[in-house]
Amino acid sequence: MTPVHFTFSSAFMLGLTGLTFHRTHLLSALLCLEGMMLSLFVALSLWALQLSSISFSASPLLLLAFSACEASAGLALLVATARTHGSDRMQSLNLLQC
Amino acid sequence: MSFFMSLLLLGLVLGLIVVASNPSPYFAALGLVVAAGVGCGILVWHGGSFLCFILFLIYLGGMLVVFAYCAALAADSHWESLGSQSVAATMLVYGVSVGVLAGGFYGGWYESSWLTVEEFHELAVHRGDAAGVALMYMPGGKMLMIAAWTLLLTLFVVMELVRGKNRGALRSI
Repeated sequence: MTPVHFTFSSAFMLGLTGLTFHRTHLLSALLCLEGMMLSLFVALSLWALQLSSISFSASPLLLLAFSACEASAGLALLVATARTHGSDRMQSLNLLQC
Repeated sequence: MSFFMSLLLLGLVLGLIVVASNPSPYFAALGLVVAAGVGCGILVWHGGSFLCFILFLIYLGGMLVVFAYCAALAADSHWESLGSQSVAATMLVYGVSVGVLAGGFYGGWYESSWLTVEEFHELAVHRGDAAGVALMYMPGGKMLMIAAWTLLLTLFVVMELVRGKNRGALRSI
């Protein structure tokens, strides 16, 4: 394991830990997901670059397209939550009544 | 491995620590911007100038601007900065645990293992990754069509989610 591999692995694990424990805002959870996607992008790019297998250097772009889909759906859910509940706090999502 | 590369790797981990330590969304978005900029530096130092360009323009310029806008939309009167008690304690815990892990792996990594594409260590514009991305248009055409179709589907998903009149996911009763 080289320092670069350790860095993006620990970045992914940090994003996952931040998503798992004590989120207060929905937007913070979405930002943690984006951080995980960023580390995955760096990981796929470094895989293609370090092994000089440049045929696979299109795979980070496809990952970025799918992560854009994920981010836009999450932000649409954020907007819908802010309109029904008044804020994007995760505690207010437990309420049954809007 | 050069000193500057180690600085960039440290910056990526620190940016993710800021995102993961549960501050207000303003500061989390700031940490993610720092992490994305540092990730661009890492990619360009590995020889992926076109991938760095994509990351900078699409990720940092497109998606994070939307995230900053949504942070302003979901604004809260009470926010927690990086210096507040719980956030600083969480950052300390995450930093110490990453440091302990790095100390555990320290014997197994090699100082000089810094591979770039084409084994060409200078900075240049025309590199192998631009040619590799261009392969997406001919042999990877099916995957390109799938990605484009997914983006189009996501447009309709977003429009149905936030429509809010009498149909869609968010309707008035």
